Amino acid sequence: MIAKKVLLVGNFGVGKTSLIRRFVTNEFSEDYISTIGVRISKKEVQYNEQIVKLLIWDVAGTSGNEKIPKAYFLGANAAMYVFDLSREETYIALEENLKMVKELSGLQNITLIGNKKDLLTSEELIAVKNKITVPIDLITSAKDDENVEDAFTLLTAESLK
Amino acid sequence: MIPAKIEDVFIQITTDINGVILSIDAGKFAEKEFTLHQSVYRSCPFLEGTLEALPYNEPFLIEAMIIHSNSIEYNVDVEIFKREESISVLIHNRTNVYKYVDQLNQKRNDIFFIKREIAEKNKELDRLRKIADKANEEKSRFLAMISHEIRNPLNVILGYSEMIAEENADVQKYINSLLDAGHNLKVIVEDILDLSRIEAGKLELVSEQISITKIVETCIANFYHQQKTKEVKLEYFISEKVPTFILGDSVRITQVLSNLMSNAIKFTKKGIVKIDVEAVSETAENAVLKFVISDTGRGMTNDQVAKIFEEYQQTEINDNRVFGGAGLGLAIVKRLVHAMNGVILVESKIDKGTRFSIEISFKKVVNHTLPQKQKNVEVNFNSLKGRRILVADDDVLNQTIVAHILNKEKTVTTIVNDGLEALDKISKESFDVILLDINMPNMTGEDLMRQRDLFDKLNIDTPFLALTANTSSKDVQRYLSLGFSGIISKPYTATEFVEKIKKVLP
Ligand SMILES: Nc1nc2c(ncn2[C@@H]2O[C@H](COP(=O)(O)OP(=O)(O)OP(=O)(O)O)[C@@H](O)[C@H]2O)c(=O)[nH]1
Ligand SMILES: [Mg+2]
Repeated sequence: MIAKKVLLVGNFGVGKTSLIRRFVTNEFSEDYISTIGVRISKKEVQYNEQIVKLLIWDVAGTSGNEKIPKAYFLGANAAMYVFDLSREETYIALEENLKMVKELSGLQNITLIGNKKDLLTSEELIAVKNKITVPIDLITSAKDDENVEDAFTLLTAESLK
Repeated sequence: MIPAKIEDVFIQITTDINGVILSIDAGKFAEKEFTLHQSVYRSCPFLEGTLEALPYNEPFLIEAMIIHSNSIEYNVDVEIFKREESISVLIHNRTNVYKYVDQLNQKRNDIFFIKREIAEKNKELDRLRKIADKANEEKSRFLAMISHEIRNPLNVILGYSEMIAEENADVQKYINSLLDAGHNLKVIVEDILDLSRIEAGKLELVSEQISITKIVETCIANFYHQQKTKEVKLEYFISEKVPTFILGDSVRITQVLSNLMSNAIKFTKKGIVKIDVEAVSETAENAVLKFVISDTGRGMTNDQVAKIFEEYQQTEINDNRVFGGAGLGLAIVKRLVHAMNGVILVESKIDKGTRFSIEISFKKVVNHTLPQKQKNVEVNFNSLKGRRILVADDDVLNQTIVAHILNKEKTVTTIVNDGLEALDKISKESFDVILLDINMPNMTGEDLMRQRDLFDKLNIDTPFLALTANTSSKDVQRYLSLGFSGIISKPYTATEFVEKIKKVLP
């Protein structure tokens, strides 16, 4: 079985831990316990007839243009950048932040996820999408279990490239 | 030898290139988690995927990793050094440091989210305040408008009253104007009451067996009699598919239809005003009926249509002067239809006419053996002549009106000023019927009824009627349970008043 190291990064409180919890144990909590350092979860997934062991790094959220320690990316096969659709400051500098993550990780592609869809009306969602210039890979809700599985499938595919 | 204390805060191990532990070199931190010849990944999952990628012969630091030991979570910093065939891993327990970082982080983030929440709440409050301000403004506008409308007919009433007082000629003409103005005022006041009742959620819809055909026919007949110019033809059509009986509130349905009819007639000088009723859909329990009230009148522009259901809206500034009422009718119609879970639509074309359509879902009468509720429409021919009637009312004006009505009926009337005087009379004389105002000084009508055991045999079977403007079903229920046989609601017409009395007479 192959193992792939993937990271979830992004602003604090955007729902990285919640996405991982939803994906790995199918649980969700409204409480916010901010992650400190790195917490690692594992999950085996099937992708194109092969079993992949995902080593998922839940990295503490950043604030502003605070940097993620470069060491975390050592050996990473893919990374997901999560932002919060309901908080402008988490997607205002996406272009810059994605560039920074690419530089730190040496990865070509970063999977871009907009989370907390449930907090927005469809009109608000359209308005947010219009403000974002980079292509979003998926819109998710960890709370409503929407597209979470798909987001990790995208990430797995990316890690296998 | 390394001192015990320091030993406990680190551990140094050597693994092969694949992470299999070759030796434990120093330190005792979480030593139970590290077993020779086993994979280091079990206790250090962060090394998996990382070790392979490590550069050779270069110290490497990864901070803030997690290690579990004895069900306790430790935050550790990890220094790694990779050589050709082995890797040395030095793990420092930094839980104490990270504990503070953790707390600071959590606080920073919590404050951030609380600030956001407050900002959102403030926005919401601001929005609510604007709505409240607007509502308040609307209410003031409504009040201003209504007081103005009430002043008009009131002026007429006062003016003609003065004239009557001054001269005797043309009395009949003046009285007719008085009656018109009074009638107009009554419509306005009732509309206001209705509207506020609906707004306050106090509208109580009854569900009884009713015949739509009968309601429509009565409605057409009423307007037929009121029609002065016969240039407008009144028509109606009821589809055969409409169930004979349904469950609904005939008073409110009549009110809706009458309002729309009167509106249609107002604005149609010549042509046809028509009510169509059809069954749109039907299930075993429900029937959706569609009422269409159409006219060939002057119609409205799109702008006017858009505003038609707003309160006190009449399409032309002077409409209310010309047609009377305060333009509340359609606002009431809309609310009544909504209260019946229905929808109302309007289409209109200038100079072609207007079409209101209403769809309401009614429950069908499942059990046809249910007796149709008999509306008390037949006139009671009993005479009141010679009947002994006691009236207790503290208001001189009311006393005069009551005396006037009863004199015409040639009753033997006794009038007293409050409950106490009434009690005194009741214990001395027997009456055929006793009318009690509710709000009276010394002893209210309700108080008096609570003393029923004081009434001696003289009036043990005498029916009591409450004279009151409190007509909510809760009030009525209370009056009935106190022993009243019925109520005469204020304001009343002479006919209503007399009929109510006849009804309770044996
Ligand atoms: N409504 C809603 N809330 C969410 C969703 N995902 C996460 N949350 C909430 O957002 C808050 C933060 O979620 P976390 O998963 O802890 O966020 P994080 O990105 O891991 O935060 P850090 O660890 O501080 O970087 C928590 O209160 C979650 O309950 C979502 O999809 N919808
Ligand atoms: Mg987290």
